[in-house]
Amino acid sequence: MTTLRPPRMAGLGPMLVVALIAAALYWPLMLAANVGPAGRTLASGAELDCRTALACASQLRNPVVPAPAQLAQGFVRLSTPVTSPLALPYNVGVTAGETLLGLLLATVTGLGLALLLVASRSFERATLPWLVASQTVPVVAIAPMLAVLLGQYGVQGFLPKAIIAAYIAFFPVAVGMSRGLRSADPLHLDLMRTYHASGAQTFRLLRFPASLPHLFTALKVSVTAALVGSIVAEISTISFSGLGKMLAENSRASDTVALWVIMGYGAVLGVTLVALVNVLERWVTPWSRR
Amino acid sequence: MTAVRTVAARPGAALSTAAALLVGVGGLLLVCLTLPAPGEGTPPDARAWLAGILALLAVGALGVRGAAQGESRAARTLPATLTLILAVLGTEALLRAYAVPAGLIPTPGRVLSALWTARSVLLQDTYTTFVLEALLGFLAGTALGLGLALLVVRFRFLELGLLPYAALFSSIPIVALAPVIVKAVGLDWPSKTVVVAVTVLFPVVVGAVRGLQSAAPLHLDLMHTYAARPEQTFRDVRIPTALPFLFGALKVSSTLALISAIVAEFFGTNGHGLGFRIQIEVGRFGLDVVWAAIVLASIAGMAFFALVSAAEARLLPRRS
Repeated sequence: MTTLRPPRMAGLGPMLVVALIAAALYWPLMLAANVGPAGRTLASGAELDCRTALACASQLRNPVVPAPAQLAQGFVRLSTPVTSPLALPYNVGVTAGETLLGLLLATVTGLGLALLLVASRSFERATLPWLVASQTVPVVAIAPMLAVLLGQYGVQGFLPKAIIAAYIAFFPVAVGMSRGLRSADPLHLDLMRTYHASGAQTFRLLRFPASLPHLFTALKVSVTAALVGSIVAEISTISFSGLGKMLAENSRASDTVALWVIMGYGAVLGVTLVALVNVLERWVTPWSRR
Repeated sequence: MTAVRTVAARPGAALSTAAALLVGVGGLLLVCLTLPAPGEGTPPDARAWLAGILALLAVGALGVRGAAQGESRAARTLPATLTLILAVLGTEALLRAYAVPAGLIPTPGRVLSALWTARSVLLQDTYTTFVLEALLGFLAGTALGLGLALLVVRFRFLELGLLPYAALFSSIPIVALAPVIVKAVGLDWPSKTVVVAVTVLFPVVVGAVRGLQSAAPLHLDLMHTYAARPEQTFRDVRIPTALPFLFGALKVSSTLALISAIVAEFFGTNGHGLGFRIQIEVGRFGLDVVWAAIVLASIAGMAFFALVSAAEARLLPRRS
């Protein structure tokens, strides 16, 4: 299974064209989305320094789709001062930390489970359906309870969110690794047998390296899942920092521009984390590069 | 690696398995019945009970292990069911032994009774969340994703220009997207349907394109030598090779769809849906109703996953 990589250089031209088209379409789409609410606001007799609905569409207080100038303003408002714990960069850092810790926990749990799944048929039969089922449980629902529960045993702050992130993220690792550990070439396995290699040696020299590409494919899924998990955890538990806390706060305050800016930051964080896994993959498994 | 074991050949093993299961399940059931429910009666001595419950669980696990031997139909399906029964009974027993207040974790028994007493409200919520939001959104997102994928495969320009963005967008966390869409579309259920459709869209596009492009060059050459028309090649080579990739994406999306619907409900509803119910009841410490909602959500999720898997089994040619 090859992973999807954007083609180098050759793709830049078309990517730019698509980006330009999207940018050109943004303004009319924004106006179209905002004209309705703007008309209603005008009709309600609110104080606005514009006459027609069309003119007001780009300067609503709570636009459906914010105008570029509003986005830029919102970006500056939420990003400065850069080091303040109320500004976005600090909160993005907090969420990133939780996500990475969660991913680490998920990888350890996932690897352990994968080993058990591969080692014991009865374990697989008894638990695999419920591992699948555990992924259909909406974590959002458990998050507040889990936080209270962990708080009872003195686990607070960073860790509950990381654990919730790990809860969503462990499954792809477990499934990917259990497939990976079985993916060693039968020919190579035979070769190991002719060398009279012990089980541990076969594992260390053959099965584990063969499973690494599967691990990284799984990690790319897991890292976004972990990000969703830590944001969800921040939204649904009592938290004082992080993207989720800012989302919840601004959603309650109906500050649409802020929501768009936070979404942008979330997207950048998601993309960065995936890129990080990609770098790690190339560093750990240089042989799988094509 | 695969040692063939047969249980039928050793009736003694089957007997001891049945005995272990009986002791494990029956013992736990007895423990649950003797211990008072949390908040009623005097709290029992937790330490002593813990040892007993763990021992019974271990015996039960041995029984499950025995039941999982062999290749019969029962050996494939029974262990999972037995594990669930053991886990539920074990949880109930432990919660009773430690007299955990229902405001912290309700016992499975209480959750079941909440499931029954609040059934009409919960079923209504499940209908909203599962059918209107998750299922409709999933279908819309899949249809849109397939259309986009076909375009991307047909036009090289779009592949170079659009696909990298699809890969980028699929790494945006849904929870960051949900509040924006809910604010833009409105509080009624269609806003959640849109959120689900958007979250499903990108994995489907990426999976379908990867699948459509994974046809072996040899097979394509063969079709070429047969002078097959492009639509024949498409039908006979590209689509069959794409299906496994597509279904991989669809399976991931099916669980994602339900979760996004529930997450989106956290950012505003008109008073329906499992996510709304969970949020409201957590605030009122009605944790038994919350867990009942979770049970329904996961049943819906499993049904959804099973549905996609069944479709996969039907459409995919069987191979080793």
